This record gives sequence, structure tokens and C-alpha cells, in this order.
Amino acid sequence: MSGVVKLQDVSKTINGKRIIDSLSFEVNSGEVFGFLGPNGAGKTTTIRMIVGLIGLSSGDITISGYSIKENFVKAISQVGAIVENPEMYKFMSGYQNLMQFARMSKGVNKEKVDEVVELVGLTDRIHDKVKTYSLGMRQRLGLAQSLLHDPKVLILDEPTNGLDPAGIREIRDHLRMLAKEKDMAIIVSSHLLSEMEMMCDRIGIIQAGRLIDVQRVRDFVNGAENSYQLEVSPKDEALLVAQQLFPTIKMSLTDNGIAGQLKKDDIPLLVNEFVSKEINIYGIKEISKTLEDRFLEVTDKKGEVTHA
Amino acid sequence: MLNLIKNEWIKLFKRTGTFVMIGLIILLLTFVGIIIRSQENPDRGTGSENWEEQLQTEINNREQELKDIQNAPQSMIDSYQRDIAINKYRIEHNLSPHQDYSVWGFVYDASNIIQFAGLFVIIVAAGIVASEFNWGTIKLLLIRPISRGKILVAKYITVILFALLMLIISFAYSSLVGVILFGTPETTAPHLNYYNGTITEQNMGVHLIILYSLKSINMLMLATMAFMISAVFRNSSLAIGLSIFLMFAGGQLTAMLAQKFEWAKYILFANTELMQYIEGVPLIEGMTLAFSVMVLVVYFIIFQFLAHYVFHKRDVAA
Ligand SMILES: Nc1ncnc2c1ncn2[C@@H]1O[C@H](COP(=O)(O)OP(=O)(O)OP(=O)(O)O)[C@@H](O)[C@H]1O
Ligand SMILES: [Mg+2]
Repeated sequence: MSGVVKLQDVSKTINGKRIIDSLSFEVNSGEVFGFLGPNGAGKTTTIRMIVGLIGLSSGDITISGYSIKENFVKAISQVGAIVENPEMYKFMSGYQNLMQFARMSKGVNKEKVDEVVELVGLTDRIHDKVKTYSLGMRQRLGLAQSLLHDPKVLILDEPTNGLDPAGIREIRDHLRMLAKEKDMAIIVSSHLLSEMEMMCDRIGIIQAGRLIDVQRVRDFVNGAENSYQLEVSPKDEALLVAQQLFPTIKMSLTDNGIAGQLKKDDIPLLVNEFVSKEINIYGIKEISKTLEDRFLEVTDKKGEVTHA
Repeated sequence: MLNLIKNEWIKLFKRTGTFVMIGLIILLLTFVGIIIRSQENPDRGTGSENWEEQLQTEINNREQELKDIQNAPQSMIDSYQRDIAINKYRIEHNLSPHQDYSVWGFVYDASNIIQFAGLFVIIVAAGIVASEFNWGTIKLLLIRPISRGKILVAKYITVILFALLMLIISFAYSSLVGVILFGTPETTAPHLNYYNGTITEQNMGVHLIILYSLKSINMLMLATMAFMISAVFRNSSLAIGLSIFLMFAGGQLTAMLAQKFEWAKYILFANTELMQYIEGVPLIEGMTLAFSVMVLVVYFIIFQFLAHYVFHKRDVAA
């Protein structure tokens, strides 16, 4: 486990506008890193810089120790990527497209091409012209293209865009498999938050060009206090009791009881108190926060995020 | 590099447009051949018995005119002198100017097809970089372990190879049409070159190949310019439009400027017609073959430098 991809203080200014601001993070081999942020946060811009499509205004990016600025060819030879939509030559077949890219990397033979085609499940249609492909099929072809040369780093900008649920699941399984078995470092950006939760080991949240948080997925989801709903009566009295017990926690009345952002350990204390004050307890429900809630909370940009 | 060129070549020939271009050239050559054939004057040979007398009168006329127009432009004087010299040479060496129209004549006339082929080469040159941006494929192309410079060189070489193919097709096919429609002559008179007051004989086949090569220099430079515009502005319509406009108007505009200004000789189009040094008179006095070649090389380097410089630095956010 070592940082294969390293971003150090990366900034990008276009037309005087600071689009990426001092971004630093590392991605290790064998992990899937999720790159999360609302529309226009700068995910695609960052990915473009990592693969050398656009220059850096300041800072540096290294891949396996090679700087993308100084040693582009060495650095990029370790990378497979899809940047936004994987546009292909529409007038050629999927196979001919892959052969184009195969010729541009060392040591990619026809067997390897066939193997990758099989992996992404395009064997049946690979000899049809790309213009006859559906969006999902193009996405698969894009993935195939990025895997041809057995890269150490895989970078996918919204790879599940346009895939059906089965396809999304397939990609997710592929990515997990590639990270574990081939020890790849994988960077994925996506709007489908629920999916990031299932696919990624770590998640970095970017907003307005700044990285505001990097956390392990599990910590991330559990990081916040969950809220609990208690079905109790009489509820007004219960609220008073609860507020006396936990003066710092905000509690509120609901239709049939009270609710509040309690910690797990608070629950037995509260129950004991209710029992001693002869308040009836009918049920206790934990409302756990999803990544999506957390994400919205952190970015605080509710209206702009595409929901899963 | 070979693989890159192969890739470009495949991309070029997977598109129907390319075949349409080749088809149009073949169609046009066939058409021109048939027209010339149907208009061919069977009496071409009349007066060929006393051609020597005719030439002598022409010479006399020209010499008389030369005396009359003392202060005519130098180019006019030069061209009269050229006529006189060639006609004298013909009489001395018994070379009749009246030749039956044959395959050679046709290939010579058909050399104007190069302008037409040039049109297509410009279209290809203008599209080869810009299309990758339009298709969005530039993103996948530039994230390979190959420097941008190499990719651009491979694309340029592909343009040159395509130009070569168009020339070979034009030359070979017009020869074929020529042989079929007009036949081969028993004896082929040599071509007469006039340069700097001396006359040299040249084998007709060799002459035609030189003619084709020199005529294609214009096309080569325009294609290079279109390629540069396409790489710099990522816009193929601009590259095509400007290049084709200059292809048709560049020569005339330069000739107009050349009458007034000495510096017109540094304009690209004053130097693309290298034929002027072999069978004609230079546009501006004092221009030499070496001068023109130098100017062409300088333009070539500027075009290539601009293309590479911008393409290398470009942020690809297509
Ligand atoms: N070429 C450009 N010129 C000016 N501004 C740009 C350019 N490219 C991107 N931007 C700006 O940079 C910001 C980040 O864009 P980017 O495409 O990286 O966002 P993103 O996170 O990928 O968004 P999305 O989720 O919609 O894909 C946006 O505000 C965008 O307007
Ligand atoms: Mg994006």
C-alpha cells in the first residue's frame, strides 16, 4: 500500500478563475478511491490534469513517481482512463477502435484485446460499427479501452453513466476485482452516491475546486450521530425528561413521540429514565444516515446534486 | 511511429469520403479525356510541311516587336526572347512543333488535375487534427504513452502520403486514359526547356514527372498551411476555407502586388510556381530557384513550428 497517484498542491486557473484550488491527495494501489462532488465542483478538471490533457497552473502530479509534467510518457503508460464520455471512432467497429489503441501501447496483442472484450461483455457486438452502439455499450467499450495495457492506475469519470442496474453492478464487481486481484489503484468519480458507498474504499469530497474531506467509507457513513425516534406517551412529558437528561442535544416532538440526534450509548440511559418516570415506551427506531445525506450535509448544495 | 501512421491511414480509409475523392478524380480524368478526344481536330497536321517557314516568320515578328517596345516590362521582353530562342532551336535541330496529340499531350494537359487533387489533400489536412477534436476522440488519443509531437508528426506524414497517393493516381490514370484514347506516338519529341537564355532537351516522360512534382509544391504548401490552421484553431472549416481561397486567389493577389512592391517576392505564392524557373520567366526580376526554395523552406518551418507549439501546449477540454 503506497501512494501510486499523488497530487501535491494542484491548482488550475482558467481565464483568471481558480477552478481547482490547492488540491492534495494520494491514491494507493489496491484501493478504489471515490471522487465525489456536486456539478461543476472540478472532478473532471482534476481528472484531466491527472491524465495530462490539461496543464497544471501550479503543483505537481506523480504516477508511480513519474511527474505528469516532466515525464509524461512514463507516467501515462501506467494509466488507463475514461474522461467524461468515451467517444470513439463511430465509423469503425468496436474491435477496430480497440486495435487503434492497442497499436499505441507496447505489448498489447490480439489475445489481450479479445480477453478485455470478453471481460466487459461485448463479445457479441464487438465487430459492429460503434455508431450502432447504445450508450451502455459505448461505456463498456470505453472501459475495455482503458484496460488494454494492464494499467496500474485506472481513472474513470462517471463510469456508470448510462448503464442499466445489472451493468452498474457488473462494473462495481469488476472494479473491486481489479483493485483486489490486480492491485490497481482506481479513481472513480460519480454522481450516484449510493453506488460510491458500495464501490469505494475511500471517498474524497470536492466542492468548488477544494477538497473538503477524505474519509474511509465506513467512517464516513458512521461519522455523524444518527437520529433516533422514540414512540412514547405522554410525549410532552417525555420531551421534558429527555431534555433534562441531555441538555445539549436537540430533541423534538413527532406525531407519536419524540426524536433527537442521540448517540447509541445514550439510549439505555434514556430508557431507564423513562421507565422510572413511568413513561410508556412502544418502540425505538434508529434512522441511520446514508452517504447521500452526509454528502448533502457536507457540501450543503442540495439543489444541485443529481440523486441516485 | 509506423503504427501511428498505420492508425491514421486506417482512419482515413474507413471513411467513404476518401473513396469519393479518389472516385471524383478518376471520373474527372475520364471525362476530360473523352471531351478532348471528341474535339480532336483531325487536321492537326495541316501546315506541318512548311512549319519551318512559319516559325521563321514568327521569329521575325517577335524580333521586330522587341525593337519597337524598348521600355516594356522586363518580363515581356524575357518571354519574347524565350519564344525566339525556342523557335530558332527547333529550326536548327529539325524539331517540328506539330506533334500528333498523344498520351504525352494528354498527361501534360491533365496535370491541371493537381489543383483538384490539391483540394482534396487540403480537406484531409484540415480535418486530420480538427476532426479528433470534433469527435471527442482526441481525449483517448492523447492519453497514450506517446508524446503529442509524435502524434502530430504521424498525422502530417499521413497527409503527405495521401498527397503522394493522389498524385500517383492522377499520373498513372491519366497515362492510362491517354494511351487508350490517344495512343502512343512512334517517336517522342523531347521537351525544350528555356532558362537563362539557354535551351536544353529533356525526355518527355522525365519532363512530365518533374512537371507533376513542381506543380504539387503549391498543393504541399497549402496542405501544410491547412494542417497548421487545423492544429492551431481546431477548426477544419476555417482551415479548408482559407486554404482553398488562397489556392485560387493567392497567385493573382501576389501577381498584383508584385507589380507594385518589391517585397511581394517574399509572399508564399510568389514562390510556389517553381515551373517559372524552368519554362518561363520569374514573377519578379532577380528571383532565383534557390531564393524560392529558401522562402518555401522558411514558410514550411514556420507552419510546422506553429502547429507543434500550439498543439503541444493546448489544454484539451473538448
Ligand atoms: N475550459 C473551461 N473554461 C472555463 N471554465 C471551465 C472550463 N472547464 C471547466 N470549467 C469550470 O470549472 C468548473 C469545474 O468543472 P468540471 O467539469 O471539472 O466539474 P465536474 O465536477 O466534473 O462537474 P460534473 O459533475 O458536472 O461533471 C466548472 O465551474 C466549470 O464551469
Ligand atoms: Mg464531470
